[in-house]
Amino acid sequence: MPHPMPSLGSFSLMLALALSAYALLAGTLSLWSTAKGRPLAVSSAQLGETSRRAGIATFWCVSVAAFALVWAAFSNDYSVDYVLHHTNRDLIPVYKFSALWSGQEGSLLLWAWLLATYGFVMRLRHKVDVALTAYASTILAAIQLFFLLLLVFAAPPFAIVPGGIAPKDGFGLNPLLQYPEMVIHPPMLYLGYVGFSIPFAFALGALMMRYPGEKWIHITRRWTMVTWLFLTCGICLGMHWAYAVLGWGGYWGWDPVENASLMPWLAATAFLHSVMMQEKRGMMKGWNVWLIFITFMLSILGTLLTRAGLVSSVHAFAQSSIGDWFVGFLLLVAVVCLFTFFLQRDHLVADNKLESLVSRESSFLFNNLILLAACFTVLWGTLFPVLSEYVQGSKVTMGAPFYNKVAVPIGLGLLFLTGVGPLLAWRATSLRSIRRNFVLPCLSILVMAGSLIATGLRPWEEDDPTSSLYSLVCFSLSAGVITAIVTEFLRGAAVVRTQTGKNLLASTLLLTRRNTRRYGGYIIHFGIVVMFIGLAGAAFNQSKEMEMHFGDSVQIGSWKLVCNSYSQDTNANYDTDYALMDVFHNGKKITQLAPERRFYTASQQTSTVVAIHSTLSRDLYVVFEGRNPQTDRPILKVFLNPLVNWIWIGVLIVILGTAIALVPSLTPSRAPVALPAKAPPAETPAFTAVTAQAKNAAGPSHA
Amino acid sequence: MTLLSILPSIVLALLCIAYVFWTQKKQHAPRAQSQLDHLRERKDVIYENLRDLNFEYRAGKYPAEDYNEQRNALENEAATVLARIAELEGHTAKTASVR
Repeated sequence: MPHPMPSLGSFSLMLALALSAYALLAGTLSLWSTAKGRPLAVSSAQLGETSRRAGIATFWCVSVAAFALVWAAFSNDYSVDYVLHHTNRDLIPVYKFSALWSGQEGSLLLWAWLLATYGFVMRLRHKVDVALTAYASTILAAIQLFFLLLLVFAAPPFAIVPGGIAPKDGFGLNPLLQYPEMVIHPPMLYLGYVGFSIPFAFALGALMMRYPGEKWIHITRRWTMVTWLFLTCGICLGMHWAYAVLGWGGYWGWDPVENASLMPWLAATAFLHSVMMQEKRGMMKGWNVWLIFITFMLSILGTLLTRAGLVSSVHAFAQSSIGDWFVGFLLLVAVVCLFTFFLQRDHLVADNKLESLVSRESSFLFNNLILLAACFTVLWGTLFPVLSEYVQGSKVTMGAPFYNKVAVPIGLGLLFLTGVGPLLAWRATSLRSIRRNFVLPCLSILVMAGSLIATGLRPWEEDDPTSSLYSLVCFSLSAGVITAIVTEFLRGAAVVRTQTGKNLLASTLLLTRRNTRRYGGYIIHFGIVVMFIGLAGAAFNQSKEMEMHFGDSVQIGSWKLVCNSYSQDTNANYDTDYALMDVFHNGKKITQLAPERRFYTASQQTSTVVAIHSTLSRDLYVVFEGRNPQTDRPILKVFLNPLVNWIWIGVLIVILGTAIALVPSLTPSRAPVALPAKAPPAETPAFTAVTAQAKNAAGPSHA
Repeated sequence: MTLLSILPSIVLALLCIAYVFWTQKKQHAPRAQSQLDHLRERKDVIYENLRDLNFEYRAGKYPAEDYNEQRNALENEAATVLARIAELEGHTAKTASVR
């Protein structure tokens, strides 16, 4: 007797499709009726409410479908084609769960479910702004409809195996995906991709309804930051997975699928910066709208690259012909965005103009230009194989040297602006102000560069002078940026200390609580700098490869590895070949490493499990590459990768900074603040009017 | 499809239809953001900018000349917005009294 869950799942998807179609249709009708003032047979408010509720009901139906697929995987229901191809009986439960997103149909179901979940939360919170949410909800219903159409007609996750007779066991999960991080990396990445649908829907909705003011930005700010955080975590988990599983000694290979996740991240980062100009000064309205449009379209492109097999990649675990659907959808989104923009472009006129090239605004502008240049470079390199095949008939792939040549100087430019931006004043920065704020960071840069050159980092003496020069610049700039950030904290804390009498640490904490967005942002910048330091370490990587017998040793830097033994093991899921290596540093035994090579019986595929001894200064990274067929001895590759841990620490700091920036600031009325010790300079007539109201309406200074 | 799958499917469909179309007593009619709302938001933002500027000045980030220049510009911006708010509020009050 067949299991009932796949049928229920299939039906739920069809019901969800009908509900989304209704939400789109009823929502559009209701908005049209309200905008044009044309009455309908039912009130437009009632119709809009049924549309919102249909969106909420879609969430329940997609949830039932997702649950049904997980249930089918856990109950070994191999009558479902997807379960047959992505699980097997001996697969441990956590990987059976992750099978939900390891293939085409499952990952599309995850996309649809996450979108429905985001939509569910947004629709429940509709009272924030009922009119704007009605627009956003209808736009979201359109996106949801596309993914449900895909799931029902192009990539059904509950398709029954040909012939309808279920085999006794499944073909297993791709071994590369049988790694703990793979359980959370794809959902994180998808939470990022999908999450950009919300700010996109609000931005497009606000433009469609000619929403006055910047409130839509306030509404979507947390959505965008949370989504950005998920995408950051997803990308970094992917980097760590590539580092620990693929066994090539690196964490970023400029693979098309890696690039696919980086592009929306770059665009979203540009948006998060430039949106401050709109909030503070009412500038760059059209630019911001396009940044969020582009971010969303790049997310869809990312899903297309990951899931439709448009370009070949080690990360593309699912390939099929759904590419045409995605291309069609992308074109439709682009047309709708262009049409709406041209129709409403007079609504996006800036309140203020750029007054000086040396100002906070211009630093945001340069930051945006650099981020978008990086985004375009990555897009060009990623799509070049497709374009070259279309034009020349042969695929030309862009390798890591192309990206590194362009991305490293761009990255250094960004690092420079990370330090400079916060030190500049809004509107215009005078030479006096520059002298006051830039002396210490510049001094730090010079001291760091001098120290590094003195201790041996001399690019002109190295085999690869360009890499060494980049590292020297990166370390020196990092010192300058860290000095700038620390100075900002110390200056602020000094003011709070004068006002409250608290010690420096307590003052710093209070300062951060009073303006979480600004100081959380500085912590994020600090995390990014720490990551850059880790990335710069790659210039000094070393590696050695050799065949090893018992007692053989290999020396790399100041580390020595001795082959203690090598053996084999087996369990129900895979067979293992491994070597036991004793690790010595300066003659003292530090640890034992056991690099493995596994053969998965169900899928008949092999994979490596890298052994890593990680310290703050370097990683000792050992890969079991296989056995020499002539001698049967293991071949091992050893890497010495400096500063890799700084990247992961940097990510944790970025997460902490984002979490702080998400917490609402302590309101001025709640903050115990004394009056300033020093009287402000002479007052103007306008100030008298403004301050009288400001004191009543806004309370005392935030810090 | 078996009875075991038909039954929950029907229940799910009925629940969804009931939830979507069940008449609600309380409706949240959309209220459009007015120009006045926008100006009040703008006023809050300018006050926030003034507070930030004061704080950064006290932190020693700007010399007094720069601070004065920046503050004057912000105050003028605030004065313009306040005048516009007063104008719109007066207009609204006048319309209400006529009614």
